[in-house]
Amino acid sequence: MPQQQVASHRQKTREPYKHSMSDSVKLVTLSSAYDDLQHRTLSGIPCDLARLIYLASTRDYNSGVYHHEGLSARYGPESTRVALRAAHKDIFYRLIALSLEELVNELGIYVRISREAPTGFIHAWQELEPYRVAVPMEVHSTMVQLFHSNIRLALEVLKFRQEHSQPYPSASSLQPLLGR
Amino acid sequence: MMPTAIFVAVAILLVLFLLLITKRKEVEEQESDQATAATPSDCRDALQRPELVLRIFSREDREFVLQMRSPRLQQIYQEERRKVALHWVRKTSREVSRIMHTHRLMARLSRNLDVVAEVKLLWQYLELRFICGLLVLLIEALGPHALHDLASYAGELSQLIGRTLPDAAAASRVTSSENPGTL
Repeated sequence: MPQQQVASHRQKTREPYKHSMSDSVKLVTLSSAYDDLQHRTLSGIPCDLARLIYLASTRDYNSGVYHHEGLSARYGPESTRVALRAAHKDIFYRLIALSLEELVNELGIYVRISREAPTGFIHAWQELEPYRVAVPMEVHSTMVQLFHSNIRLALEVLKFRQEHSQPYPSASSLQPLLGR
Repeated sequence: MMPTAIFVAVAILLVLFLLLITKRKEVEEQESDQATAATPSDCRDALQRPELVLRIFSREDREFVLQMRSPRLQQIYQEERRKVALHWVRKTSREVSRIMHTHRLMARLSRNLDVVAEVKLLWQYLELRFICGLLVLLIEALGPHALHDLASYAGELSQLIGRTLPDAAAASRVTSSENPGTL
């Protein structure tokens, strides 16, 4: 787990850093929960956009609190919440850093794994804008705007490709994205 | 004397106009933005992520859209990027205004104010507000890639002038090679 996440958690608790036993245990648990989430759950999801949607789905719409039964049983609810929130933000930042072309490829993979007809998928996403609820809380509003804007553009590009029968990127060209 | 006064008056009016533009738009956006903004991490993220600006004004994205050869896509791209770019400029301007407001409140209570540092800070603040206002105008009028476009246009113009006046351009090159220290 990146040091930044641990430092961020420490800062959020707004307690002075002490090398107490309980703090160390807490950090180790948090780190283990994050690693477990990455290796057991998120690595099995084929693209970052799908990971983002998955992580957003573990968040309660009304309270904004993250839940994960399996992780909670192993690491406790607090560490699980922090790990899920950190992973959600990390993936969001990764998606924001993508170029438009890379995001179009990412969305292409997501359309494929959704097993929906591309035309229906694009129409539903343009109408319902479900990606709006996939954004983590407490991120810079310009990033949120950029993410929404890029998804809208990526949808338009996919629609354009559909209309002009341009094939989606081949499986081999997607390998760098999948391996990221 | 008279032309100088007119020039200064126009410059002052322009500065005031630009400040007013950003201020007015900030108030409008603040009302619509309250749901997503103003979290403590908002400021932190903004300061830590200069790459965000590079993403907004990315040439790579623009070239990707241009490759599609679809006027409709290009129009959508321009409009989307324009909105995000304007949001970023106004947000930046608003955040700096907020910091300055807090600083002003603290400065009132301070007993050992460094006047030179304060004047310098005020100048930097006004400079930033002016740049933000100018950016708003340019983005509104010419699109999000206005600065890049203007620079390219200036480059093209200078080449055009060089081609139109080849003798003067050659003389200038000779002079600058003879006096490398001068501009």
